[in-house]
Amino acid sequence: MATVREKGYSHWDGKLGERRFPWWPITRTGIQLAFRKKRFKFVFAGAFVPAFVFLVGLYVSERLEDFKSFVRESDRLLNIGPKYFSAYFTNDSLLFLIVLVLAFGAAGLIADDIKHSSLQLYFSRPLSKTDYLLGKMSVIFFFVLILTALPGLVLVIFKLIFAGSFKFFLDYPWLPLSILGYSALLTVFFAFYVLLLSALSKNARYVIVLIFGIYIFSNVLYGILNSIFRTPYMALFSVSANLQQAGAFIFGQKLPQAVPAGWSFLVLAGICVLAAVVLNRKIRSVEVIK
Amino acid sequence: MTAVIAASNLSKWYGNVLGLNDVSLEVEEGITGLLGPNGAGKSTFMKLITGQMKPNIGTVTVRGQKVWNNPEVFSGIGFCPENDVFYEDVTGWEFLTGLLRFYGYAPAEIRERAARALDIVDLAKDKDRLIRGYSRGMRQRVKVAQAIAHDPEIVILDEPLSGLDPLGKRKLIKLIKDFKSEGRTVLVSSHVLPEIEALTSRIVLVHQGKILAQGDIPYIRELIEAHPHQISVRSSDPRALAARFLGDRSIQKMTFAADGRTLVVETHKRDDFFGRLTGVVLEDGIEVEEISSPDDNLQAVFEYLVGK
Amino acid sequence: MNTPRSIREIFGFFFFLGRRTGKTRVFALLGLIPVVLAVVVRIVLHGRSGDIAAVFTEILMVFFLQFYIVILALFYGTSVTAEEVENRTLSYLITRPLPKPAIVLGKYAAYALLMFAMVAVSLTLSFFVMNAARLREPALYLTFLSYLGVLGLGILAYTAFFTFLGTVLKRAILVGLVFGFGWENVIQYFPGSTQRFSIVHYLKSLLPYRPAPGGGGKGVALLLFRLEPTSTLLAVLALIGIGAAFLALACWLFRMKEYLYEE
Repeated sequence: MATVREKGYSHWDGKLGERRFPWWPITRTGIQLAFRKKRFKFVFAGAFVPAFVFLVGLYVSERLEDFKSFVRESDRLLNIGPKYFSAYFTNDSLLFLIVLVLAFGAAGLIADDIKHSSLQLYFSRPLSKTDYLLGKMSVIFFFVLILTALPGLVLVIFKLIFAGSFKFFLDYPWLPLSILGYSALLTVFFAFYVLLLSALSKNARYVIVLIFGIYIFSNVLYGILNSIFRTPYMALFSVSANLQQAGAFIFGQKLPQAVPAGWSFLVLAGICVLAAVVLNRKIRSVEVIK
Repeated sequence: MTAVIAASNLSKWYGNVLGLNDVSLEVEEGITGLLGPNGAGKSTFMKLITGQMKPNIGTVTVRGQKVWNNPEVFSGIGFCPENDVFYEDVTGWEFLTGLLRFYGYAPAEIRERAARALDIVDLAKDKDRLIRGYSRGMRQRVKVAQAIAHDPEIVILDEPLSGLDPLGKRKLIKLIKDFKSEGRTVLVSSHVLPEIEALTSRIVLVHQGKILAQGDIPYIRELIEAHPHQISVRSSDPRALAARFLGDRSIQKMTFAADGRTLVVETHKRDDFFGRLTGVVLEDGIEVEEISSPDDNLQAVFEYLVGK
Repeated sequence: MNTPRSIREIFGFFFFLGRRTGKTRVFALLGLIPVVLAVVVRIVLHGRSGDIAAVFTEILMVFFLQFYIVILALFYGTSVTAEEVENRTLSYLITRPLPKPAIVLGKYAAYALLMFAMVAVSLTLSFFVMNAARLREPALYLTFLSYLGVLGLGILAYTAFFTFLGTVLKRAILVGLVFGFGWENVIQYFPGSTQRFSIVHYLKSLLPYRPAPGGGGKGVALLLFRLEPTSTLLAVLALIGIGAAFLALACWLFRMKEYLYEE
């Protein structure tokens, strides 16, 4: 009879088997789970309202003669250019809707795993911490890109179709790049922001409150500090003001605050770095067994 | 004997899913075991008789009183839920004393009852630790403690033995048996037959939301014995093994698995077969590598009974 | 046990539990922010003339009214029933000899008091830090009490509303967030009597200081934009009425409804 050897936990030092996209099942499941909720579908569909409004604006801009009586003084607004696209990407309602979509579709991404102690299950498979985080982040990438880059590019295409020429594209050849660049910025920022908060609690309801609370609180704080100090630098305390500042810079527009855009990029990058540090500490493959 | 808990034509739907289907049952004093595989409807039944859910059809009474929205009835009921859930930020002592407040006892009595209940479940020395730091067994025991701390006449325990180690199980089984000797009515659910068998001889078999059979253990055993068991024996010489069993009347069927090394036996008398197999192995020196019983679980028995 | 006794016991248990949780500590810490801001205001606006209440309303009430009590009430209010269902601990409560409405009322009272304590500490510190130079003025204390009263009424009304949402909806927090930070803010831009369909309107109507239209900083613009105040008595009655009505609805629903745990 073979000897029963002493058993204990030991780290496996071998190399993980190669697989091209080990994070994909996590992403797919995350997206599927979000769409299983009826209310999420409703909110997600509602998040396209700004895109629809701007699409109508595009159409009207090409038919100004037909809509003369409606638009009158708004024709300046309907002068389609980078400013119009910047207005779509940086308007409060789009940012609010993105936060809303993420609060309901992504709050539980890590919180639920912590709640059900399933981190060990993930890491008992050939999956690294980076794969896990990339899988979770990709869920957020999917939602944010679908609400930003996709409608942004669709708006450009419709502009070209409505205009019937490539003049718009020749006038602003860099615009698609701005759209992709700002969408990428929003995507990366929100991925870190939401995952950071999702990793702080095992209660998804609490995470939803945090995602919303911090976003709103930063705006309220900006308002209060601005009342006290009366300096535009206080906008750096606001998540949305920083995103709007960065957006205006990327679209080559006048900055909404008289603060160099670099500061806003720094603040946003700082939040991402903080999130990366916290996530690195919180997501552990080996847990102490109680 | 009069029924302590009476359910009459009880049905419960979860949307389109039928959780419980026209169940009528009378639970008398002593221990009654509710046996059935996961999803059979045991917990649904327990939730209905503890007023956590309202039946779609039928009635349920405890000591002749309706249960739904009748708080008075709960003074005499102790319920231990199946889920491993607690107010995690409190100690075992705080959990128990907190819940005992809801019975209107004086503070001194609350302390006395909590101490006694924790003592019964062997948690007295861990009472000041946070529940979130308790082991699975301790959590299970504190859950039982909260169900008995107010000295209820009726104790309803939903899968109380799950997650316990053998020693913990033995202790809890003894505790539940003590409830019976104290004249209480105990309804306990499990999906493991030997667990229920160790507790009581009175069993109710539940399957797919219906009561399949009820009676004493010997009757249920008889039903189960009638169920032909499949046993797989992987051996170096399965044909020689088969030859040794050919004359055995208790064996209904023998087949060889595709791997050519496994003999699959179907028998009504499992215990007899295992007894003979041991003898054959010792006498003939046939090497047996693995013995398994693919359908040796409650589900298979239930399927057999349903088919019957 | 009779209903008042049951409410008292539930209140005692959940007030104790509420104090224990880490979330309460986080929310209490959040309450220190206005205190820090008050210190900053004292340093930055040192010697600025004007009404004390004006400065307080313009700057710190924005935090309390637009954010702090809403987020507190949203979290604790929806917790009254939703956390029991989510954590599956409801079985421990409804298998006790307690009338179901007592569970709602007791938890509501426990959480409302907990929130009020957090808000009161935060308000007291920030208010008196900001007005440290005027501690001898009796009017100061009256102003303080009226702020405390406004926030107390706010907590009662908002928590009752969110308790109702938590009782009736599975994902009450979504509707709560949209109501608390969407509807309550957007409604002030609507014409006519529409703003009376919000809770914040009545709270703003009770503020001891209301600046003239167009005056003040951004904070005031946020808080008192286009406010057409309701009279004090009506505003108090409306807030009490909102609280009582939603609480009664929540109790009734909790009694009638059965809660299924999600698998």
